[in-house]
Amino acid sequence: MSEALASLLTALADDELILGHRHSEWTGFAPHIEEDVAFSSIAQDEIGHAAALYSLLAQRSGGDADGLALGRDAAAYRHAVLCERPNRDWAYTLARHWVYDTADAIRLEALHDTADEDLRALVTKMSREERYHLIHADAWIERVAAGPVEGRMKLEDGLKEAFEEALGLFEPIEHEEKAVHEGYLPLPSSELARRFRELAANKLDELGVQTEIYSRSDEAAEFVASSSGDLIASGDEHAESQPERARGLGGRAGHHSDEFQDLWDVMTSTYRNNPGATW
Amino acid sequence: MVSPVRTIEDAVWNALAAVRDPEIPAVSVVDMGMVRDVTVEGTAVSVVMLPTFTGCPAVPIIKSDVAAAVSMVDGVTGVRVEITFTPPWTTDRITDQGREKLREFGLAPPTGEGPVLITDIGLPEVAECPFCGSHNTHNENAFGPTPCRAIYYCDACRQPFEQFKPV
Repeated sequence: MSEALASLLTALADDELILGHRHSEWTGFAPHIEEDVAFSSIAQDEIGHAAALYSLLAQRSGGDADGLALGRDAAAYRHAVLCERPNRDWAYTLARHWVYDTADAIRLEALHDTADEDLRALVTKMSREERYHLIHADAWIERVAAGPVEGRMKLEDGLKEAFEEALGLFEPIEHEEKAVHEGYLPLPSSELARRFRELAANKLDELGVQTEIYSRSDEAAEFVASSSGDLIASGDEHAESQPERARGLGGRAGHHSDEFQDLWDVMTSTYRNNPGATW
Repeated sequence: MVSPVRTIEDAVWNALAAVRDPEIPAVSVVDMGMVRDVTVEGTAVSVVMLPTFTGCPAVPIIKSDVAAAVSMVDGVTGVRVEITFTPPWTTDRITDQGREKLREFGLAPPTGEGPVLITDIGLPEVAECPFCGSHNTHNENAFGPTPCRAIYYCDACRQPFEQFKPV
């Protein structure tokens, strides 16, 4: 199969799996029984989407979906760093949920024109389910933004954190140019990033929520390779003086945080302890 | 005169009409519109199925139940069950009989095409209570105990109930 299509499927599936895993951590612990149900259900959807994407990848390239989901080293995952961050508090959870699902809707809309027929069908199916996630996230953001000041401030803090790392979702995937050229990725990641910023900024403007997005909104959403070969945002002021990646970037190249290592240890423990087990 | 192939095909559809959805045993995979195609070639049968929700954990069970049921049909020597997302399954595929069975089971059937009945606070509108038929209901949660269900409360008969979520 095309290495560009494999790269795209891996990035999409890993995002869904890892954020789905974080959402599932609210099962039994959410601050409200209905939200316990909601986050558990959203987690099940996201992990189900990941399973379908891994199955498609496995059909084309050999291997099996479980092996792709749980049998890789941590450095082989290509999700955005945003997805692996711990849930922290309820405000950050909601902020990330909203940022991710707003970004995901933009990405899925573009993928309706992907050159791969099976992926196109799956994207159509996933979009109909994802709409409920965005409705849920929108409803919460609107509710908290219109609520008492303490909650609103916590939400703003959460959004600030999540936005800073949202760019990682639109970091170019491996073989990005090829993926665009071959039509698997109908729009380059930089264009998806631009659409995300515009939509997100408009929405938060409507709600009167202040975040860092305003100070970054005029940056060109482009990435350049640093001398170390890592991708860094071209607008990052430390890009030239510091070899470090901008916060939240690097996931598409397999650079993850220690927090992901902790998640990976838990997520893959059963698979690693019982190789080849059937369920 | 009915050809032999036609007879096997009919028998296969009859067998499929007895395969229940493991999470909603009141309805069959045919009622749910999950069977896209049945193809008979000689004595080999191919069934193409559409999963209701991408992440539905019942799909592997349904797949093996379908294979088992079809293999029991007289004259069938081979069964192949394929799962596809083309076209995507939508709630429009549930038959009228399926809708009636969902209601009797206590699950409000989906309304409209896709998630269209969404109010601006982001929750689906009222659903018809499957117990008393009232529309004096409200949504409690757009998510439920399975990926395909939303939770409502009937203000008339004071019963919580679930709706099969429109997708």
